[in-house]
Amino acid sequence: MRDSLTERQELAVPSNSAASEAVPNVRTHSWLFLTANLTEERFFLILSVFIGIFAGLAVICLRLAIDWTSISLLGPAPSPHTLPVLLMPAVVGLVIAVLVIHVFPQVRGSGVNQTKAAFYIFNGRIPFRTAVGKFITAALAIGSGQSLGPEDPSLQIGASLAWVIGRRMKFSREKLRLLAPVGAAAGLAAAFNAPISAVLFVIEEVIGRWSAAILGSVVLSAISSVVVVRSFLGAQPLFRIPPLATVHPTELLAYAVLGIVGGLAAVVFAKAIGYFRPLLVALPKATRYFQPALAGLMIGFIGYLGAPQVMGAGYESIDQAMHDHFTWTVLAGLAGLKILATTLSIITGTPGGMFAPTMFIGAMLGGAVGGVERHFYPHLTGTTGTYALVGMGVLFAGFMRVPMTSVFMVLELSGDYSIIVPVILANAIAYVISRSLQETPIFDLLTRQDGLNLPSLEEQREEGILRVEDAMKLPPAPVLDSRLTVAEAIEQLQGTSSDVFLVRSSPSGWGSLNRDVFERVVNEGKPGTTLASLLPAQPLPYLHPDHPLEMALRYVEQTPLVPVVSRADLGKLEGIITGEDVFARYRVATGESP
Amino acid sequence: MRKPALEPITSRPPVVIALLVLLALVGLFCVGRLVHHFQQEEKALARQLYWRSLREQVAGKEDLAIQHFRAALSYDRDNFEYQLALARALVDSGRTQEAESYLIGLWERFPQNGEVNLALGRLAAKEKSLDRAIQYYHNAIYGLWVSDAEQNRVQAWFELIRVLIGLGARQQAEAELLSLSANVPPNAEMELRTANLFAEVQDYEHALTEYRRALGSDPTNAAALAGAGEAAYKLSRYRTAAGYLEAAAKARPQDAQLTQLLRTSQLVLENDPFNRRISRVERDRRLRKIFQDAGQRLDACIEAGAPQTSNSPTSSDLMSPLKGRWTKMKSKLGLLGTSRESDLPDEIMDLVLQIEQQTTACGMTAKDQALLLLAENRAGVEQ
Repeated sequence: MRDSLTERQELAVPSNSAASEAVPNVRTHSWLFLTANLTEERFFLILSVFIGIFAGLAVICLRLAIDWTSISLLGPAPSPHTLPVLLMPAVVGLVIAVLVIHVFPQVRGSGVNQTKAAFYIFNGRIPFRTAVGKFITAALAIGSGQSLGPEDPSLQIGASLAWVIGRRMKFSREKLRLLAPVGAAAGLAAAFNAPISAVLFVIEEVIGRWSAAILGSVVLSAISSVVVVRSFLGAQPLFRIPPLATVHPTELLAYAVLGIVGGLAAVVFAKAIGYFRPLLVALPKATRYFQPALAGLMIGFIGYLGAPQVMGAGYESIDQAMHDHFTWTVLAGLAGLKILATTLSIITGTPGGMFAPTMFIGAMLGGAVGGVERHFYPHLTGTTGTYALVGMGVLFAGFMRVPMTSVFMVLELSGDYSIIVPVILANAIAYVISRSLQETPIFDLLTRQDGLNLPSLEEQREEGILRVEDAMKLPPAPVLDSRLTVAEAIEQLQGTSSDVFLVRSSPSGWGSLNRDVFERVVNEGKPGTTLASLLPAQPLPYLHPDHPLEMALRYVEQTPLVPVVSRADLGKLEGIITGEDVFARYRVATGESP
Repeated sequence: MRKPALEPITSRPPVVIALLVLLALVGLFCVGRLVHHFQQEEKALARQLYWRSLREQVAGKEDLAIQHFRAALSYDRDNFEYQLALARALVDSGRTQEAESYLIGLWERFPQNGEVNLALGRLAAKEKSLDRAIQYYHNAIYGLWVSDAEQNRVQAWFELIRVLIGLGARQQAEAELLSLSANVPPNAEMELRTANLFAEVQDYEHALTEYRRALGSDPTNAAALAGAGEAAYKLSRYRTAAGYLEAAAKARPQDAQLTQLLRTSQLVLENDPFNRRISRVERDRRLRKIFQDAGQRLDACIEAGAPQTSNSPTSSDLMSPLKGRWTKMKSKLGLLGTSRESDLPDEIMDLVLQIEQQTTACGMTAKDQALLLLAENRAGVEQ
């Protein structure tokens, strides 16, 4: 209990200092009730709501910009065998390359990694110029038909807006850093119209760990941005969700097959990006002017030949796949072509996101698997929409390696919990296959290719956590009672060689005394002195066996030994731990001799 | 020159919050206007695409029409009119599954809408799903219609009955017809359609009633006269039939079938030996004539080679005994009109019936048809 209090105190230190700065001014403005106790913590929460609102507005503008660009460049109904479809992605690709190279160098790629890097390396800094650049280039790229989506740019734009606002507020460095995920969640939630998935994605991918410190702010910003988007663009998801149904328990086998197919497709997709991206980066810099244009030309060619569905974000095609518009062969073909088109867009560094293409590929693969099953077992198959929806989750789990987000995304989009079993089954299979065949998740892979090494939740999951119980020793004998006199204590200690002894004071406090102290008191002629009066005013900190070992590091420098006590009975000593024990255990963990 | 350091805004929270609120309000207003303007533009674009699709549909370019209906929906995706148009286009082009999912989506939003239910009913009928078809058609009949509700409901009802007939559910069709006939507005065309459907399910009694209703609205309606004549004929009410058919034949002199029915009806009336208004002598004369005619037909058929019918294994095998029976019966004709005639008229008519039935493969004249009908309905012919 004490250590958790200590933790809270430690965490509260910057807040208190900020509060102490704020208090005099707050009092001068006491005419405003809401300012009465406005600490930085609370102000941060209020600000999260505003970040959500501004991010929501920015994302609405981005969506309009993409739609407007698409209508202007490709026409209101892009169809095969038309010149705009063939040429526009290439022509606009040249413009994007010039903008990225000369005006907005920070906007290459999806934006997720950049936001994560801002969080971990640059104290949350994503300049406003980056947000503007991302807005323009992403709108041009997606609107002209590059196979990318608006979600990841929205995430980065949200994070950038949050940083800009936070900087104006002169927040502490810690708070500025935390603003990046808050803005990211708001941007993603607005783009995706799904706040829970956005929050989970930001936790899984951007923050890379479960952090209670900003969870409230992240949720608030995500919800406020979604409220803004829904109030302007409506509450419906990006595509219409058809009635979902699973017909028979044996259908789970088909979902298992979908998991396998999705997992393999995710590996192919990730490996293609991982292989080709460094090759293009290694080419002479002058080629960067032409790379997005070449990718655009190839994508335009795919569209020109008969598959304009793979161009742009592809929400309409996802909608059509969910409503049985395509045969399974067409669905499988579109999935393959989308993997190719998206790979081209991503490896050339064209600004835009991977969310929408991943959903597209997943929906097509899901629909194809459902179609094949219906061909052979028409009475055992639910709707194609169900397979397409589950397929989206599968690709998310396999390609982006965000298992929690992938499950909740499907449930949130469908609003139907009846499909949770097939979703979990298929996602788990895809995730396991992807992890087995592709060691590094795609976002980590891209980050490492860019020369950065950022933490990830998956990495954390794989790390074994060392706990206090792994390093503690059995309690030494004897443990002295604080009510004993020094003379009685010396009597009890006869035959022991230790210099430091633990003292239990009622009811659950702990202290330690040195043998020298006893000798000094006896020499002073006060052997009747009680141990309680000799103990320092500050009680000894203690740990529990399940505490992470790193927590012990905080105390072992202050005191030669730290008691490890039971959670059920704070007076019951389970063991002791010293600095030497902690370091010895870490040496074992890293393969050194203890 | 060095910029002065920014004062921490957090030290002035009320000002900051007020500024943020103001900024948010301005942003919300501006984006709201922008969204409104853009949505109007998109709706106008969708309308253009919709009209274009309709023109393409008329020109028979179904695929292009579907593509543009879809494009229209991508700009105005909740538009009921476009969705319905797309669903109809999909049904027309045979993409029933996709059409169904579209329509079910619409149905979930507008479960009482007559048009949606009618379209779903048509789909179910196409898939030969009787229960679903009936359910959706009933929803359409009792549902809400934007305009011409009464007429649309009756049309849907007619369509349901036609579907039921098509799917072989005659009894259900008849039940629906009975309900419909009570709700059909006083309109000759509607009444005629109802009557025709009654005739189609072989409920000639109700068919005749409905034809009469139609004639009440339009006494010179040739189709109603012909229908009434035919219904009466089927009910063996040859006098009534002859009346209607005569009037119909005047309006449609080229209609061979009508003329044939009229002629048959007249022959039945002329030759009916059981007519209570004729004398016994006349009855015996008619019986003899019928008997002679049957004999001649039998001889002609035997001479022609007695083609095999589907009903008889070999007609010649059956015709020889018939000829023997006819000859034997001929010797008894003298008993007609005497106190010893007993069941002789019925025996004659039984033999005539058998001869006419066995000689159908040799071709049926109006007279043969009349003989057959007389033999079949010897007590039921309208007096």
